[in-house]
Amino acid sequence: MHMRFDVVVVGAGPAGAAAAYAAASGGLKVLLVERGRGAGSKQVYGGKVYSHYLEEALGDLKGAPIERWVGKERLSIVDDAGRTATLEYEGGSTRAFTAHLTKLAAWLVDRAASAGAVFVDEVRVDSLRRDPSGRFSGVEAGGELVEADVIIDAEGVNRLLLERAGLVERASTRDLALGVKEVVRIGEKEVEERFGLDKGEGLSWILVGGVTGGLPGGAFVYTNKDTVSLGLVLYVDAAARAIEEPVHSMIEKLRTHPALHRYWADGDVVEYAAKLTPESGYRYMPRRLVADGLMVAGDAAGMLLNLGYTFRGVDYAVYSGYMAGRAAIAARDRGGPTEENLRELYEEPLRRSRPFRDLWRLRGVERAMEGGDRYFRRYPALMGAALRSMFELGESTPSIYEALRGAAEESGISIIGALVDALMMARSI
Amino acid sequence: MGLTIAVGIKWVPNQQAVRFDERTGTLIREGVTSIVNPHDLDAVELALRIRDRYGGKVVALSMSPPSAVKGLEHVIGMGVDEGVLISDRAFAGADTLATSYVISSALRRLGGFDLALFGQETIDSSTAHIPAQVAGWLGLPYLYYATEVELDGSGRKVIVKRMLEDRAEWYELDMPAVLGVAMKSQLPRPVKLSNKLRLREENPIRTWSNAELKLDQRCVGLRGSPTIVAKSTWTPEVPRRRQILEGTPEEAARKLVEALFREGVLR
Ligand SMILES: Cc1cc2nc3c(=O)[nH]c(=O)nc-3n(C[C@H](O)[C@H](O)[C@H](O)COP(=O)(O)OP(=O)(O)OC[C@H]3O[C@@H](n4cnc5c(N)ncnc54)[C@H](O)[C@@H]3O)c2cc1C
Repeated sequence: MHMRFDVVVVGAGPAGAAAAYAAASGGLKVLLVERGRGAGSKQVYGGKVYSHYLEEALGDLKGAPIERWVGKERLSIVDDAGRTATLEYEGGSTRAFTAHLTKLAAWLVDRAASAGAVFVDEVRVDSLRRDPSGRFSGVEAGGELVEADVIIDAEGVNRLLLERAGLVERASTRDLALGVKEVVRIGEKEVEERFGLDKGEGLSWILVGGVTGGLPGGAFVYTNKDTVSLGLVLYVDAAARAIEEPVHSMIEKLRTHPALHRYWADGDVVEYAAKLTPESGYRYMPRRLVADGLMVAGDAAGMLLNLGYTFRGVDYAVYSGYMAGRAAIAARDRGGPTEENLRELYEEPLRRSRPFRDLWRLRGVERAMEGGDRYFRRYPALMGAALRSMFELGESTPSIYEALRGAAEESGISIIGALVDALMMARSI
Repeated sequence: MGLTIAVGIKWVPNQQAVRFDERTGTLIREGVTSIVNPHDLDAVELALRIRDRYGGKVVALSMSPPSAVKGLEHVIGMGVDEGVLISDRAFAGADTLATSYVISSALRRLGGFDLALFGQETIDSSTAHIPAQVAGWLGLPYLYYATEVELDGSGRKVIVKRMLEDRAEWYELDMPAVLGVAMKSQLPRPVKLSNKLRLREENPIRTWSNAELKLDQRCVGLRGSPTIVAKSTWTPEVPRRRQILEGTPEEAARKLVEALFREGVLR
């Protein structure tokens, strides 16, 4: 059987599905190959997705498996003693929704299939093939070859194909973070009552400090329709150092945390998942995003922003995948998917795009988030101690300055040092 | 012309993915994906080998809810030629008698077959009834623990090898015949891209409901099932104590052995 397509897309995550959708919508013959059973079956479940780039790429979100539109944002700093300071934001307009990533990916693949793309699951691509001139000319799976004018690699963070093709180095643990996550079912009414949400309204909650045992990383809580997704993102180096405490016991700690447990008390844990993610998209980016006959999109291209308090992976994946799909169409009308054409039609516009410029601009914040102990243990401790002396009054009433100074002494941090850190942080932001 | 080989597959919860909720002490079935009963894949593999050697086609049948289409797609990805989903609300809640009745009716409807292969048993109920009962309904010869199949010279008989604990036996059966294939006797082949593409292009899966099979409602589903689960007991749950034994490995090992003697585990 001779197998030939205009475009072969590897990986049916958000990036691959969007690429297949875009290319098929422009009349190209597209094959979308996924190693898991069904779209997105290898992906981590629920999360929060910003809608802007999805709407831009797809026109609308009709029928999308949206759990709740986020109307309430919380940011908490927790110290090792469990003292928690929380900032809550609401009353703005909603720009993000919560969703199960598997369902979202399946929906995107349905859109691609309706546009004419052929979707094949349970097939792992083993290698990207080049013809004698060095042009990428197809993919090999289980000893079978499929030829293509252009390949869109959307294999995600674990980019073995690109490694094997010599296009990227093997990832170092310093560039990766580990996400672990649980979904707890508590019921629709309970979600709304316990988190103080209106009907259909969603909460996105980021926590740093004591929730990760002082390791660099953060915790998140997102409300779905009748479940809550909670999880941790830990920098892999740190997670490996924390070997005395396996991550699944850390997530257990998060679930049973005294300040948090009541939100999902009596709930059933219905999912558990763990997956890698680039720690800093910018640093993870391959030197080139195109080659003769090849484009790279999504996590594999480092299109992911992780600021600790904001995580943009799915929407950036859809954005870059969509651009790659459009570029495949434009390249055909321009003499084919040569490296030069793809650079002009995909890589350069992507590098000029808002998401890419944000990744570049914010790369310093990502680095600062790795500041380790200071940000994840000592400042939370400082905050906890200061707020304690402000709010837990006995004999005397300290001023804010006295509270801070006392807390600084107690937690062994110099106020000057803290101010310098704050300034550095502010500058990098 | 070649052989027509039918193979039955069941869509079962993936028990390896079923987790245990330590807090409530119950199994978490939610979010657990289903798979093709692993022992049925031995039957699929054997069917494919027979076809590859003698020609013909393999038709997979599954009496299951509609989600089992994914299972039929999987075996078509392996190389099965056609799939039949036997699905109807009326068939739900069936015991093995009612199930084998529906499956044998579907086999009849295929319009002639030479071999019908089944897995040895299923991982979710382990009865091993179905192939025997199907053979019973159809009045056909039946052999279980089959591991190898060859056609004899006449082309109307098969020679089937079966493995028992202490010996191998060879039987000669007239076709059509029904076989239960020994679990773990084959190495099921992986899914192939070209097979999946053929699936997308040709869509070789049919669905038969009772509108096609036209079976008496009293003989199928819950109503057609005389089996009653009279009683079930669980093995008692022994809570874990999570004791940590201090000291060097030798000391800790000694303490462990002592503790096991104290508890009567070792004597
Ligand atoms: C714990 C955690 C929480 C997250 N939360 C959020 C969040 O709340 N919001 C957000 O926007 N982002 C979040 N992300 C990030 C987001 O999941 C990713 O950025 C996004 O999924 C990237 O999409 P992708 O299509 O590039 O890659 P993926 O989603 O990883 O998809 C790649 C696909 O390719 C397939 N594949 C790989 N190799 C092959 C091969 N050789 N052959 C065939 N198929 C192959 C894989 O099976 C997979 O389905 C989170 C990530 C983690 C780990």
